Amino acid sequence: MILKRVFGADPAIAARRRHAFVRGLRAVAPATIATGTWGLVTGVAMVKVGLTTAQALGMTLLVYAGSAQLAALPLIAAAAPIWVVLLTATVVNLRFVIFSAGLRPFFRRFSLGRRLFLGYVTTDIGFALFLSRFVNAPDEERDSPEQVWFFLGMAAGNWIAWQTMSVLGIFLAGQIPGAWGLEFASILALVAMTLPMINSRPALVGAVTAGVVAVLGAALPLKLGLVAAVVIGIAAAMSAEVLLERIGART
Amino acid sequence: MSDLLIWIVIVGLTAVTVATRSAFLVLGERFGLPERVQHGLRYAPACALVGLIAPELALANGSLALSLANPKLVAGIAAGAIMLGTRSMIAAIAVGMLAFTALRLLAA
Repeated sequence: MILKRVFGADPAIAARRRHAFVRGLRAVAPATIATGTWGLVTGVAMVKVGLTTAQALGMTLLVYAGSAQLAALPLIAAAAPIWVVLLTATVVNLRFVIFSAGLRPFFRRFSLGRRLFLGYVTTDIGFALFLSRFVNAPDEERDSPEQVWFFLGMAAGNWIAWQTMSVLGIFLAGQIPGAWGLEFASILALVAMTLPMINSRPALVGAVTAGVVAVLGAALPLKLGLVAAVVIGIAAAMSAEVLLERIGART
Repeated sequence: MSDLLIWIVIVGLTAVTVATRSAFLVLGERFGLPERVQHGLRYAPACALVGLIAPELALANGSLALSLANPKLVAGIAAGAIMLGTRSMIAAIAVGMLAFTALRLLAA
């Protein structure tokens, strides 16, 4: 009954959709180990930073964005202004704005509500696997049921892995003594997540600059040091890019 | 933060998730992002994350602590090295936490 509602009543169409959905689930399966670990750490960190169980559950089930959640936690702990928390999360999530531009040709025909939903369930891994699989698909094959149901299969696998482990982390956190300092694991998770993003010399220049600015500006009110770090970091990275190109052109 | 403020933040963060992830799925017909802006935005997440991490690791009680006596700094560097060496997030977090705990026990 439920399957009929999910995949549609027409048996032939339902079978195609189901196969694509299962292929998506299979494609994302190897990545769920990393996703689950990440979810567990985030679950523990939310509680350790002082969120109630209800708040932590609300956060994981509603926000569903690990890096933005982990980025928000130290700011919540420091009682930063709400706009700083939301702005930081937006900047951390900017990569998804670019992902959404990449996904647009595939999901054009859907209603506004469905596009919002497809956007909401987009993850780093989901985007990477989807695009690497379909980027060379001819234009007339875009928007096909195979593609969207493959995407939904990946999204479902990722959602289940993330939420299960995150909820587990929320309930385990109470069993873990505060003296272990486990909330620091969330900072280490950010370190592990950030390093692969620094994949070029301009990115390295930007990151180092942002780090120095953030440390120097740590005493500024309203966490403005972080805002400055992002702005100056991007400017440094883009300047480095221009400089490196000029040096490259000269030699 | 008060309970109410935290709930407001949670709802706001949910809006941020939806808005950023569906941005061009929703607005794509009307707006294109200039090439230069797209280019610059690629660096933003790493800058924001380093901007968050660096003070957590390099400062102790608000003052600069760039020494081996700072457990967070050493643990962060250890986790980073493991991440670069193994590409395993699990190993990086585990080694980082071990280093953090060992150094704190040694200092105590």
